Amino acid sequence: MTKKKFSVPDMHCPACVMILEGLEDSLTGIQRVSASYHKQQMQVTYDETRLSEASIITAAEELGYTAIPTNS
Amino acid sequence: MVDVWIAFITGLTAGGLSCMAVQGGLLASSLANQLEQEMLSQPTKKQSRHPLAKTPTRHQLAQPILVFLLAKLVAYTLLGLLLGALGSTLTLTPMMRAVLQFGIGIFMIGNALRMFNVHPIFRYFSFEPPSFVTRYIRKSSKGKTSLGSPIFLGAMTVLIPCGIAQSMMAVALGSANPLAGAAIMFAFTLGASPVFFALSYSAARLGAVMEKYFMRLVALVLLVLGIFAIDTGLNLWGAPFSLTSTIQDWLDPPAVAAAPPTAAATTAFLPGPHLTSAQSISKLTLYAQNNGYSPRVLNAATGRAVKLEVITQNTRSCSVAFMIPELRLQKTLPTTGSVVIDIPAQPKGTVMRFSCSMGMYTGQIVFN
Repeated sequence: MTKKKFSVPDMHCPACVMILEGLEDSLTGIQRVSASYHKQQMQVTYDETRLSEASIITAAEELGYTAIPTNS
Repeated sequence: MVDVWIAFITGLTAGGLSCMAVQGGLLASSLANQLEQEMLSQPTKKQSRHPLAKTPTRHQLAQPILVFLLAKLVAYTLLGLLLGALGSTLTLTPMMRAVLQFGIGIFMIGNALRMFNVHPIFRYFSFEPPSFVTRYIRKSSKGKTSLGSPIFLGAMTVLIPCGIAQSMMAVALGSANPLAGAAIMFAFTLGASPVFFALSYSAARLGAVMEKYFMRLVALVLLVLGIFAIDTGLNLWGAPFSLTSTIQDWLDPPAVAAAPPTAAATTAFLPGPHLTSAQSISKLTLYAQNNGYSPRVLNAATGRAVKLEVITQNTRSCSVAFMIPELRLQKTLPTTGSVVIDIPAQPKGTVMRFSCSMGMYTGQIVFN
């Protein structure tokens, strides 16, 4: 399992947290998504053998958000 | 009964807007959940920024909003019941109310600044449900009943009451009666519902671009309400300066303030104070009317105890909830009648402020 943090600068309300966390249901290979409106970021725990970072970014984009991978 | 009407009118006028701004996030979550579920089950041709921006149908929108509001109504009525019951054992002092108002004001202004995107720090003024709650809601909305999430979130609004709802909660608490408390909160929430419905319905249907402007408008209203809440706090505190009293002074200059405390000067302002000075006690008369107190400035002699007679005649506004913060005095006046309040002798130059319990109507007694 890999843990990756993404900065999501276009979250504009706490509802966005729930929408992003919904990726848990729509993407195969994701174990957990923890998003925070306050920090404007989300942390994704996923199986690297089944899912790529790029597909997470694309899935977030489809929901209307820009997910930028961060180093930390 | 008067309180119930006041609560309804307050809800209908200011409550809807204010609560929408504070609790709108929860409603948006509720709608987003429901719509997301429904939208995702349909093939989407192009990407959108937010599920709310997908221009949902009328039915798709109206149903969750109505369920949300119904759940909110039930939750707040129960809260009123509890507050009324609690009120019989606990009374909020004017100082406690003032502190509460300051808190409410700061919360509202913080939220307004968050919505204006002034600084990231203001995001912390927005309530972010804990992740176990959001997770639970998401899972539950996937079940057979898609109305689970608006019911749950509607009920959860009791955790984030807006400033005006909190004022009503204070009134419910002050009623010291479970049924009266429930009736006050029911009336307020019912009053706020049409505005809440109209705003959320149109906001969601207007789409993302209009939503931006709409949220700015809400932020502006919230900013004004926040300033008003802090101002109310200042009045409840008995502070020498407040916006309300300045505006009232400007609209209705208190000419009596500079007048000497002679019988001739005071009786000239009818309805007004009558300084029927006995040997050691002065008597002042104040009229609590629907639009405030008259006169707004009373002159009293120094070194003498004062009997302040507050007269009401068919008074149904919040001016019946009379208080003098400095004396920690709080009296509920009858709709029609009079109440005599004993004020101990004061040194020269004392300015004793009084106001209604919501800090809207103010006045002062000048000892000179």
